Amino acid sequence: MPINAESVEKEKKQGHRRDDSTDLALFVRTSQDDMTGWDRHRIVDALLRETYIDRDTAEKISIEVENTIQTGKVKTITGPLIREMVNAKLLEMGLESARRMHTRLGVPLYDVDNLLVQHNKENANVPHGPEATNLTLAEGIKKEYALLHVFTPDVADAHLRGDLHLHDLGFIDRPYCSGQSLEYIKKFGLNLPHALSAAKPAKHAEILLAHMVKFAAALQSHFAGAIGWDAVNLFYAPYLEELTDKQVHQLAQMLIYEFSQQAVARGGQAIFSDINIYWEVPKHFVDVPAIGPGGEYTGKTYGEYEKQAQRFAWALFEVYKEGDAQGRPFFFPKPLVHITEKLFKTEGHREFLNHICEVASVKGNTYFVFDRGETAKISECCRLSFKLEAQDIEDAKKPWKMRYSALQNVTINLPRLAYQAKGDDTMLFQLLTERIQLAAKAHEQKKKFIEKLMSMGTNGPLALLAMNHDGEAYLKLHKCSYLIGMVGLNELIKVHIGDELHQTEAAIKFGLKVIAHMNIVCNKMAEALDMKFVLEQTPAESTSFRFARLDMAHHRKDAEKVIQGNRETGEIYYSNSTLFNVGAQMSPISRVEREGLFHPLIEAGSITHLWLGEAQPDKEALANFVTNVFKHTQNDQIAFSPEFTCCLDCGKTSRGLVDNCPYCNSENVDGITRITGYFTKISSWNKGKLGELHDRYRNVNRFNN
Amino acid sequence: MTLFTKEDCKLCDQIKKQFDLEAMEVQVEVLDSNNAGALAHLAWHGQVEAARKTLPILVLDDSSSVNDFPRIESHLIDRAASFGIDYRSSNNQAGCENGSCAMQ
Repeated sequence: MPINAESVEKEKKQGHRRDDSTDLALFVRTSQDDMTGWDRHRIVDALLRETYIDRDTAEKISIEVENTIQTGKVKTITGPLIREMVNAKLLEMGLESARRMHTRLGVPLYDVDNLLVQHNKENANVPHGPEATNLTLAEGIKKEYALLHVFTPDVADAHLRGDLHLHDLGFIDRPYCSGQSLEYIKKFGLNLPHALSAAKPAKHAEILLAHMVKFAAALQSHFAGAIGWDAVNLFYAPYLEELTDKQVHQLAQMLIYEFSQQAVARGGQAIFSDINIYWEVPKHFVDVPAIGPGGEYTGKTYGEYEKQAQRFAWALFEVYKEGDAQGRPFFFPKPLVHITEKLFKTEGHREFLNHICEVASVKGNTYFVFDRGETAKISECCRLSFKLEAQDIEDAKKPWKMRYSALQNVTINLPRLAYQAKGDDTMLFQLLTERIQLAAKAHEQKKKFIEKLMSMGTNGPLALLAMNHDGEAYLKLHKCSYLIGMVGLNELIKVHIGDELHQTEAAIKFGLKVIAHMNIVCNKMAEALDMKFVLEQTPAESTSFRFARLDMAHHRKDAEKVIQGNRETGEIYYSNSTLFNVGAQMSPISRVEREGLFHPLIEAGSITHLWLGEAQPDKEALANFVTNVFKHTQNDQIAFSPEFTCCLDCGKTSRGLVDNCPYCNSENVDGITRITGYFTKISSWNKGKLGELHDRYRNVNRFNN
Repeated sequence: MTLFTKEDCKLCDQIKKQFDLEAMEVQVEVLDSNNAGALAHLAWHGQVEAARKTLPILVLDDSSSVNDFPRIESHLIDRAASFGIDYRSSNNQAGCENGSCAMQ
């Protein structure tokens, strides 16, 4: 006789049904830190609440599960076990959609056991510790949630297959990254939604620093990635007039230490922080009224604070040059110096260039961001930049309004396209178009999800981003960028035309065509969907490893011909984004020039890395090199990366990567160099990046005059 | 020699009317939303940012580039002469104030 709701209710009323929990004497361990008696109606309630199945089917499933438990003579069962059993029944009945909706998100015991003791190396900026474990567990659940509930199955499956990579799925309820100016906290103080106290605008430089650091920590809790600050030395300038040089140096030291040591925030991570620095006063700030202590206008324009801004910029780089107490480079905040036409017309520029180039040579910190012509931008993350458009330049008159965000980053696995196209150009570009369309679809879905959270305003989970001190929400959703990245252009070219990018002009030209196609399709999608899709060179710290592993599993025959790294040790990778083979023995200027050909097509940021190894080039030689790159290439951004060995016994830092400490001969050492866009300890690197490190061509004796 | 142009670009049209570019063996690349090849070619010559400011751009056989309209005309006049081909004299250059003579 079929079971239906009516008969069940009838039996219950008559007290005839043998089931209900009284006979079972079972306790159920629930996920709410509680133990309750068995009641199969909880299954019915859950199915009706969470899925669209009908009551009769829900009743039937609950009875069948109860029978299974009875016959199995289980004495104590758990909520997750019941859910697994119910899900198995749903599958048996062909109710796949209901099973998806009823899924429990969680982590196997075995995985948690491992996680608690083993270092998760997906992100080298996450240390190993209880907070990091919390972060990883939370990320794991949110990642599952995102793939099941935020993205449609075609998008989620494309990610799982490795056709593309949806970055920061574990942070699905946050935008990707944020760039802003200090003016927001200078004008409005530190006044955050639901905070236990609110602070008025800072009256002293040290207090402004405290506000900046706390605000950065709050932002880190609401964005997945980098927190960037525009023109930091300039916006500090009105606070510096009364300070001596020694006090300015002290302030610079405090700023850098505060950011580099703040490894007590999210997951024990230091905040991925960037400070944009100008030697000159950027044209768009020259006539802007300056905000000073107490959030008051000082009566001067920022153009009048050039000398103070320069004093602070100089001091910041003095601190970078010193390094930390053990002589190691500071990992954060990353200093991004804008190289502009105006820089070369500003007094003292040569000395400043030499100064920052000395830091680049000695410690490697300096990023050189090239703003040619009338271009102005704010940079952050590993290479991301937001170009200022006409409206942004207008906003610059009220710099607290200058805040930019990318909502998400989706990266396309380029080598796989070449495997699938089998040498057919038309097929290759067709597949590439389809992947970009899928990436755009992923962006639409994330946008919709964030819009839902933002619509709850300051009572919702993104209260900080919804706060409104200046007439609009802190997160300007309508202005967000949607990043589309790429991994493995070099390997795509190798598969498709037989050469790597550094080997022939034909390879570069075809590479440019691929990226030009991506640029064009992005622009079309942007117009069609009214969303700002822009290409970015994906840092791909773990994505290049993930794609390589997946392709070795699913396209082995093709992949093993082009994959980089060491297959025996599993240290395999694809070349990042449009970068050339890291091991290619190219002169630094040739690499910068040729990689730079791609940069104007990648509007949200590109970089060329020059690996120094143990070399320490002359500062003037580097300054000449940087000047030439600015004047004679299209390159967007460069960084020089030396390597260090840090002794964990004697605490001393030496140049180059060595197995034993040169000071005490200890083998207990760790290496330090730039992983993708930031310095970190090599012991925290994933296998793919270790493979790349081994292959990197070091530019030794390549710069000296 | 390559001339980078786009549709609805008054200066590009003017050049095309003045000179028989095909006969002069000047390759014409039209930058539009369906031509990745032309954009890639432009990038190869390092002229993407320049094209965002002004078009047309003439890339000479030695790979140097000319962005200034009168100089482009001058180079093409010399080229026409070397090929023994007639050309029309220059007209008024008005019409690009709205930015139409630049790649979007």
